[in-house]
Amino acid sequence: MNPAMLNIFLSLLWLLPLFAALAIGARMLGGATGDAAEPGTARWSTFTAASGFLLLAAMDVMALLHGAPGRVEFGDWFASGDLSLPLAVLADARALAFATLVQLIGWIVLRFSRTYLHRETGYHRFFLGMNLFMAGMQLIVLAGDGALTFVGWELAGFSSWLLIGYDLPRPAATGNALFAFITNRIGDEGFILGLALAFLWLGSSDWLQLSQHNLDKVSARMLLFGFVIAAFAKSAQLPLSSWLPRALEGPTPSSAIFYGAIMVHAGIWLLIRLEPVFLRVPDIMVQVALFGAATALWATLANRSQGDVKTSLVFATLTQLGLMVLEIGLGLFDLAFVHMLLHATWRAWQFLLAPSYMARVDGPARESPWLDRLLARWPESRRWLYGASLQRVWLEPLTQTVVMDPVQTIGRDLAGFDQRVMRPLLGERGPAARLLSFVAGRCAALEERLTQLASSGRATQLLRAAAGWFLEIEALLERPRYLLLMIAATFMVIL
Amino acid sequence: MNEPMSENQHDFRARFDHWIEHLEHVLPGQASIRDFVHHNTLHGYAHLPFHEALAAARRELGIAGYWSAERFRAEHAAGRIADADINAVLDTVPDIDAVLAGAITRRQLWNAALRQDCGPLSVARLCWELDEGRDHRSDAGAALWVTCVELALGDVTELAMAEERFSVSGATSLRELIRQLGGEDILDAVRGELVRHLASHLDLGIAPWHNPARGEGFYAAWRRLSARDPAWVLGSQNEAQAEIAELPADPAEFIEAELRRIGFAETQWQAVLRRLALDLPGWSGMFLWRSQRPGYGHTEDVPVHIADYLAVRLLVERLAADAVARRLWGVPARLAELAAYFDQHPVELRLRLACHRGELPESLASRVQQMEAPGERPEESRAAWAELAHEAAASLDHELLRKARVAWPLYRLARQLGMDAAALHALGRDGIAALHAALAELDADRMGAVWLGAYERHYAEQVFTALAANHGRTTVSTSTSAQLVLCMDDREEGFRRHLEETDPRLETLGGAAHFGVFQNFYGVDDSEPTALCPVVPVVVRPAHAVHETLRDETELPSRQRRLFQRSRYRRIENEATRLAPLAGTLTSLLLAPKALAALLLRSFAPAILRDVPPPPATRLDLTAAENTPATPDSPRRGFTDDEQAERIFNFLANLGLTKNFAPLVAIIGHGSWSQNNPHLAAYDCGACAGRHSGANARLFAAMANRPEVRARLAARGIDIPTATWFLSAEHNTADDGMQWYDTEDIPPALATAFVTLAATARQAGARHAVERCRRLMSAPLDAPPEQAWRHVAGRRRDFAQPRPELGHVTNAAAFVGRRSMSRGAYFDRRAFLISYDPFNDEDGRILERLLLANGPVGAGISLEYYFSSVDNERFGCGTKTMHNIVGGLGVYAGGGGDLRTGLPWQMIEIHEPMRLLIVIEQTLESITAIYQRQPPLQELVGKGWVLLAAKDPVSGAIHRFDPARGWLSWQGEATLPTATDSLAWIAGRRDPLPPALLSRPLEAA
Repeated sequence: MNPAMLNIFLSLLWLLPLFAALAIGARMLGGATGDAAEPGTARWSTFTAASGFLLLAAMDVMALLHGAPGRVEFGDWFASGDLSLPLAVLADARALAFATLVQLIGWIVLRFSRTYLHRETGYHRFFLGMNLFMAGMQLIVLAGDGALTFVGWELAGFSSWLLIGYDLPRPAATGNALFAFITNRIGDEGFILGLALAFLWLGSSDWLQLSQHNLDKVSARMLLFGFVIAAFAKSAQLPLSSWLPRALEGPTPSSAIFYGAIMVHAGIWLLIRLEPVFLRVPDIMVQVALFGAATALWATLANRSQGDVKTSLVFATLTQLGLMVLEIGLGLFDLAFVHMLLHATWRAWQFLLAPSYMARVDGPARESPWLDRLLARWPESRRWLYGASLQRVWLEPLTQTVVMDPVQTIGRDLAGFDQRVMRPLLGERGPAARLLSFVAGRCAALEERLTQLASSGRATQLLRAAAGWFLEIEALLERPRYLLLMIAATFMVIL
Repeated sequence: MNEPMSENQHDFRARFDHWIEHLEHVLPGQASIRDFVHHNTLHGYAHLPFHEALAAARRELGIAGYWSAERFRAEHAAGRIADADINAVLDTVPDIDAVLAGAITRRQLWNAALRQDCGPLSVARLCWELDEGRDHRSDAGAALWVTCVELALGDVTELAMAEERFSVSGATSLRELIRQLGGEDILDAVRGELVRHLASHLDLGIAPWHNPARGEGFYAAWRRLSARDPAWVLGSQNEAQAEIAELPADPAEFIEAELRRIGFAETQWQAVLRRLALDLPGWSGMFLWRSQRPGYGHTEDVPVHIADYLAVRLLVERLAADAVARRLWGVPARLAELAAYFDQHPVELRLRLACHRGELPESLASRVQQMEAPGERPEESRAAWAELAHEAAASLDHELLRKARVAWPLYRLARQLGMDAAALHALGRDGIAALHAALAELDADRMGAVWLGAYERHYAEQVFTALAANHGRTTVSTSTSAQLVLCMDDREEGFRRHLEETDPRLETLGGAAHFGVFQNFYGVDDSEPTALCPVVPVVVRPAHAVHETLRDETELPSRQRRLFQRSRYRRIENEATRLAPLAGTLTSLLLAPKALAALLLRSFAPAILRDVPPPPATRLDLTAAENTPATPDSPRRGFTDDEQAERIFNFLANLGLTKNFAPLVAIIGHGSWSQNNPHLAAYDCGACAGRHSGANARLFAAMANRPEVRARLAARGIDIPTATWFLSAEHNTADDGMQWYDTEDIPPALATAFVTLAATARQAGARHAVERCRRLMSAPLDAPPEQAWRHVAGRRRDFAQPRPELGHVTNAAAFVGRRSMSRGAYFDRRAFLISYDPFNDEDGRILERLLLANGPVGAGISLEYYFSSVDNERFGCGTKTMHNIVGGLGVYAGGGGDLRTGLPWQMIEIHEPMRLLIVIEQTLESITAIYQRQPPLQELVGKGWVLLAAKDPVSGAIHRFDPARGWLSWQGEATLPTATDSLAWIAGRRDPLPPALLSRPLEAA
């Protein structure tokens, strides 16, 4: 295949869903409401997903005949002196295979959602989020360098937050969306650290250069550390696991593709991409393996007493993710890759059918007989284990006590500092303060206006929703403790 | 609530038991989701008249039982409620035409208030109206607005006086207290702590592990676990562990001590517990339901007592309240200490209450919410509160704003009445006070009642017109080719109409689709029986077991082997892949290709899937070998000949089908097949406890074909010709297909007749699909029958489809009488049709039986749809898309929260909530006599939970029953548009359609 065409094909994979998202966004702003507006949105989504799949299928055939195209560059984002950011795709055999699976499952889930979400208030918003996710995910899978991957990483994180909080009126939904969002910011810090070190030491974050370059062990270790944090957050490995079971607030199809089938595997994929770097620092691999094993054990234990189907499936997914990380830690990258593909497929199916779970089983769940016999020997441990299982080994409150509370204390101190030192310094009427208060004032006015409007049209609701998010983000930014948390995390990682 | 006080523990227990009994009235009574049965969601209020019950529910549960006024106004604007309907309802209000002031009557005033919102506004909304609204600054409005503000003066002081007094010590709920004073909802924390434990205790088999102390009851099991749960320490509630460890063993004892400790007034205890249960209605209701069914779903070793639940619920709520109270006010959550605190901090109390009631502008409100406990700097805190109070006073005590609050409703009213400033002045202060008083009479409940009455009347008028116009159009046919007996279900109204349109020589009848043969049915593959019988109005437990056996017994071993393998495979596929870390990994990876293939098939070629099981080559083992006693506790296998004849006789007599038998009589049950649908049972046959009723149809037909039974029937006056054969089938309401049973046994002479009948049914199903498609917004409109048929079949197979069908949506009427009442008229699938021959029932006993058995079933369906529609968040279970099956019991939204009961939004979205209008074809005397001797009917009809009308079998005169005024003659014009058939009438229409007369079903073939 000639390189120009390949360029176009590969970039279309993430440009198409991005374009669909833009089109849907435009439709939403244009006041798309009612049954008549649904097919348009659905068609944009399924059409782009199907075209992407056909493109990939064509490329797969070519790859089978002539070998995978490998690294394909199509321009620079930015170049100055030593630092250049080329726009490149790394379409090796693994990436093509995973991209094809992502595209196929994405297409199936979008078709599913077309019917499943029929007449929902958030119909267009849902498809907007799904298309952003498809674009982000294809970027993660195909990008040739860390920087471009990070763009996809953020798109996926953003769309995940959007769809966990899909059911706006329910506080649990928006609260958990925020929880997942913030936990994932820790991973982003790791990603940024890895990227920054790569640029600092290698002048590039290109996956191929990263693997070929001869870094010393310490540097390689630090660089990997950043990316491992990122991967652990996205794939919910310990200790960054507690967000995943809280992420089930969205509609079934989005839960299926994000937390069962595709998105949670992004971290695994990142680790697989870094295979050559890993192989040079076996000690980090040992640690990764330990965390993976711990996650698998933790999730298996917690799964024993979860009373609802979707949560149970998410813990089953976590067990598998932990095993994949274990395989990676043991150097079995090919196994981990195949495991990932097969598991993604299986879980997509199982998650989409979660609503009919009752119809597909004949009797109550049973513990495996050998484990039952084992536990029967220590009746006392059984009570303790059950408690640990029900409370998910207290990971959430632990995170709260070990991370959130100290950070909040520092935050309060900083707020005091802010009050006593910064405010007099900046002054109530300083430009920064004025800008903030202006933005806050506009937000409040906008929200007030929207809540007053008697009409309950979809556009109004969406605007209201948008204003709500705006306020939420604003409130977060106003609070120094989150910024501080980010900074603290960065420092902890560097040290 | 007013029981005498006593310190005595025994006395507390007696009162406590009584309160728990009372909880049954207010908690959802819904069964586990597998046994979904439609019932009156407000069952606990059924002893009250309908409108009073709704008012009581608003008071006690805080739920509105009517559509909102805006929604009714929209229906009015759309022509679904006419001015005449409103005025007809207002006619029943005493003094409606009395002049209030000037020339304004109450009727005018109420009409104005119904059409336009004239209620008081919140501060924020009012500010917006004043700043941004245009009307009161327009040419027409400005002078009037000034006058309203001027005249409002007198009322302002009154308003200030009326400011209610808030009492901390009179509280009945810690959650409510904290919410009003602290602006935080502790229920979020309570849910987080409680729901996992509850789901685990009630679990029917999602999780493999349960509390090892589960067998000791919820309270004991929770206590043992939580006393050592490090979560308390991690959540900085260090003292909780010790407290839980020292709890008394008896939950009731603990509840009494705890109520005292918090300091609730003893007279309020019942209210406190009720409130506690009602804050988490789904779980409370399920706990109660399970406590009444010990051993449900093979959980014999799991005791479920509501006292256990309430004790834990009370403690968890208090611990959560403690945490907030200590943080905000530095005191524990006890009423006495909170009251003492606020006595010392009156400014804080006032501001916090104002904040909760939305009386503060947003900027101030957020500052109030950020205030924390005074801690070590009480003076600073006091100063901060004082500063806030000062700012609040500056922005709120604006005199114009105070006046505007009172003036606004008056202004809106005057605008709606078309008054100008001068006219308003002319009324004077007294006149305006009179207007205000009359406006206040039309509170939310009354407004809802008037709107609902008008809405119902609009539909009732259409029905009466249609029945009157259709009277005498059907003549007795002599060439009936077949008689089909279907369920009374409103969905079958459409199917029956299309059957008759397809072949006018068909006669259709309707009855409850248990067909009077209650059985414990053992399907050929079932290890456990399914009770196929009604559970409304009373739970029936069958005394007979019927086994389905293979016609070819030699197949049995291989079938059992396949069954065993399938069961093992299902366990591996669904359970191992979910729970087993190693075996599950291997299986899920091995099964992945299969999953991909299945996903692709389901997405792109669902037609290949075979979801409805193929007709079994089986027969029913229905006749008892000997006449041993048959009781619900030890059901006998099979019915005796006498029992069979008795059941067939009764049911045929009910139907009025005692002579003129056609060569083929088809008994047709129904069920709904769909994919990926947790609420499956809600679409099935209400007469068979939410199951498929095909097996009962099959049993009935098999009995009726037996010569022994026919001989006994002939002796009792029902002479079924030997040439007549009873067929049976199940109608799939999702795709309008038919599953015929026992076709092997059809006599050769009738084979061709059967083939013709099956083809007719197939054709009618396709035409019916066209009609159903018009209400499914994603379905094609006016598609040819074959295309519509493919569409509905596609819905059934689609695993992404949350609306495989629409169930009983829009059900609104029930006709009890001969088919001639409704044959040849279009009723838009809105009517239950119950066959009854008024001339075959001299003493009214049959009618009495029918009303007692079927009235509550119809009312249950109607009221479940009604309540789920008017408030889907509280009475229904919200949208299906977020549902997550929990414990095998029900669903919740997302990953936790309250158990959701009632109907999902997808099922009621286009429902038109109104009470069921039952029209009986019988004389007034006969109906009145039955009504007078049957208290259940007096409750149902006399209290207005259903509406009743009568049609005289001979003259066709229609009377409507008013519980207060008795029978009222209906005088309307009996003219109706006509169409050739249903498809012609519905062409191009998606909206609700009024009745019409159809000519096709009446044509002689």
